Amino acid sequence: MSQSSLRNRQPFLPVDRGEVAEMMGSRFGIPPRAFEAVSFFRRGRNIWAFSLADIPDLDYEALGLRFISVRGRVPKPTTYALQLFGRFATKNAVHLSDGEARRFIAGERQQLSAPVEDGYVVVSYRGDVLGCGLYSRGDLISQLPKERRIEGKDMEGFSEVSEGCGR
Amino acid sequence: MDGLGRYAGVIPEFDRFVEAIYRPLPVTARINALKTDRDRLLSRLKVAGVACRPFAWYPWGMRMGTDKPGNLVENLMGHIHIQEEISMVSAVVLDPRAGERVLDLCAAPGSKTTQIAMMMENRGLLVANDPANGRVASLRSNCERSGAINVAVTRYDGRRFPAQKFDRVLVDVPCTGQGMARKDPAVLGRWSLKRSLDLQRLQAALLKRGAEVASPGGTVVYSTCTFAPEENEAVVSRVLDQVRGLSLQEVCVPDLQGSPGLSEVGGSAFGEEMKRCARYYPHQNDTGGFFVAKLVKE
Repeated sequence: MSQSSLRNRQPFLPVDRGEVAEMMGSRFGIPPRAFEAVSFFRRGRNIWAFSLADIPDLDYEALGLRFISVRGRVPKPTTYALQLFGRFATKNAVHLSDGEARRFIAGERQQLSAPVEDGYVVVSYRGDVLGCGLYSRGDLISQLPKERRIEGKDMEGFSEVSEGCGR
Repeated sequence: MDGLGRYAGVIPEFDRFVEAIYRPLPVTARINALKTDRDRLLSRLKVAGVACRPFAWYPWGMRMGTDKPGNLVENLMGHIHIQEEISMVSAVVLDPRAGERVLDLCAAPGSKTTQIAMMMENRGLLVANDPANGRVASLRSNCERSGAINVAVTRYDGRRFPAQKFDRVLVDVPCTGQGMARKDPAVLGRWSLKRSLDLQRLQAALLKRGAEVASPGGTVVYSTCTFAPEENEAVVSRVLDQVRGLSLQEVCVPDLQGSPGLSEVGGSAFGEEMKRCARYYPHQNDTGGFFVAKLVKE
């Protein structure tokens, strides 16, 4: 890439940590202290999480982790953000059984009865966060990035226990 | 013979080396402490029926009894990173600490980057640089999956990386990749002395720039996955002559068998100090092949 196109890239602009903590707190009940060591920046329609508040003067392709997409009507946390911080969620979190997890990992939509509000949810399996789901009128829709999905027939290492034990 | 015959008098137990280099590699991965802890991950895999055996020399690396670790849910969650055993050496020798400023000059696809991010406990600054557009996509993807929030990705030509100062710099250069033959036997057919010598110029320029942006007292690690001394000792020796105040430190990784760097080969003398570098051959630890040098700046 030429140096000029590097210079034309949009800058990363600081975002108040409290604003991000409020988004994650109001939706998932994640306490603000979970984000104490994280700084946030906005570029385009993404909020990024980074380890430092002061960044050296370089042209960056990426700065830490894409954390929240502010593209839609409602801010959408990325699967990667929830894999790191979703374990602190106290609401709008669902836990899947083996069979449900398989469908979620394959990127499917499935009927699921869960005590959550419509909107984005933290999705866990066997005590660890798989990623972000969208809950809508009794359906859970996988939000896993396409390149992360694994088709059911290819899935490795699922325990051969019957469905429902993970709930 | 595939460009390996020239090493007959150089590589110890050459017959065993040749026999090893045509065997497929064991399946290995690194446990990602940014997202899980070791005991929890090992017990998850045990329940899933996946046999794992941690390396003797590095507790975060392990051999796995599965053909497709990429299809494990633990990989999707970023709890493991599929990485060849011997490539974990570079970051171990670099020895980054939490909160430091570190540069990975030739970072894609990011196996070593994410390992360094983990060793830094997601703190400080790790600049992961790679000029190649296609390779940056895999670098970014691996950093995101690993949960690294201390990695900033840049796309400069490493030979002209901007003036900044770093506590540690990893210069893991493009090379002829002979040490990867167990993964892709075709690399042996592609090797030629001309390719090694062409790459040597690029490698020396990258290492020189890496050394220049290291802070006083900083550490620079140079690594390749090839056996060719033209791309290893010859590069290190040249840059030691070019950059003032740079000295070689002994590479020593306990419980990992290696050989010293070459002080001379085929009429080229690199100097006795090159023995402080380390060469890892496939038959020594049942891994790929690798070269590592550790330099310290005054």
